[in-house]
Amino acid sequence: MKAKKGFNLRTVCGEQIIVAEGEENIDFCNIISMNESSAYLWKEIANKDFTTKDLVDLLLERYDVAKETAMVDAKQLAAQWIKAGIVEE
Amino acid sequence: MQQNDIKIKEVQFANAILLPEIIKMLEEGHTVTLRLRGFSMRPFLEDNRDKAIITKAKDVKVGDAVLAEVAPKHYVLHRIVKIEGDHVTLRGDGNLAEEHCKIEDVKGFVVGFYRKGRTKLDKTNGMKWVVYSWIWTRLYPIRRYLLAIYRRIWLRFFKPI
Repeated sequence: MKAKKGFNLRTVCGEQIIVAEGEENIDFCNIISMNESSAYLWKEIANKDFTTKDLVDLLLERYDVAKETAMVDAKQLAAQWIKAGIVEE
Repeated sequence: MQQNDIKIKEVQFANAILLPEIIKMLEEGHTVTLRLRGFSMRPFLEDNRDKAIITKAKDVKVGDAVLAEVAPKHYVLHRIVKIEGDHVTLRGDGNLAEEHCKIEDVKGFVVGFYRKGRTKLDKTNGMKWVVYSWIWTRLYPIRRYLLAIYRRIWLRFFKPI
């Protein structure tokens, strides 16, 4: 999987949001808000191919969580990202 | 059982917090698309229905729809009705009152509007906007009555224009 081009993480008013940025146009009507862990993962996988396993490893590195929980969460997150249209398989 | 649904809920930011960020992006050379709130640009634009594409303001003139900071952290997207030197007077199409600011407080210029959920842009240099602007600004002497009729009668029975 890879993050699609043109979706950049910006901090606006204390919230981490992904804004659709074309070459020039930034569409504020089309934004995705991320929680802290999601934003962390998004930053880590920027510009590279990644798998669900990579997400799991990143979660385990940073958070004190059981491997099974991390696996479930990572799988769910990746699916959400794909569904939201910001990641391509 | 967990659900894999995407939650779509509206995130609203206060103007005083969001618009400075938007203006930074305009200064960086981007255009920004924003949803419009309020009734101050009726009848062409409606609250929470339409969007505007805004670019960095440059050489604005009377009649332009612009994003301006009319008081500290207080922004409006209204039409310029007068420019005297560096003194700018603005008035929303749906308003009777005016705002004043300096030319350097005019931060953004509206390139076009996406009205009624359409994907076709109503450009501010296009026929529709130019003709509407010409007519609507000249109706200012009776604007108070037109807006009242619109609000109290038209909107009761019909959808917004």
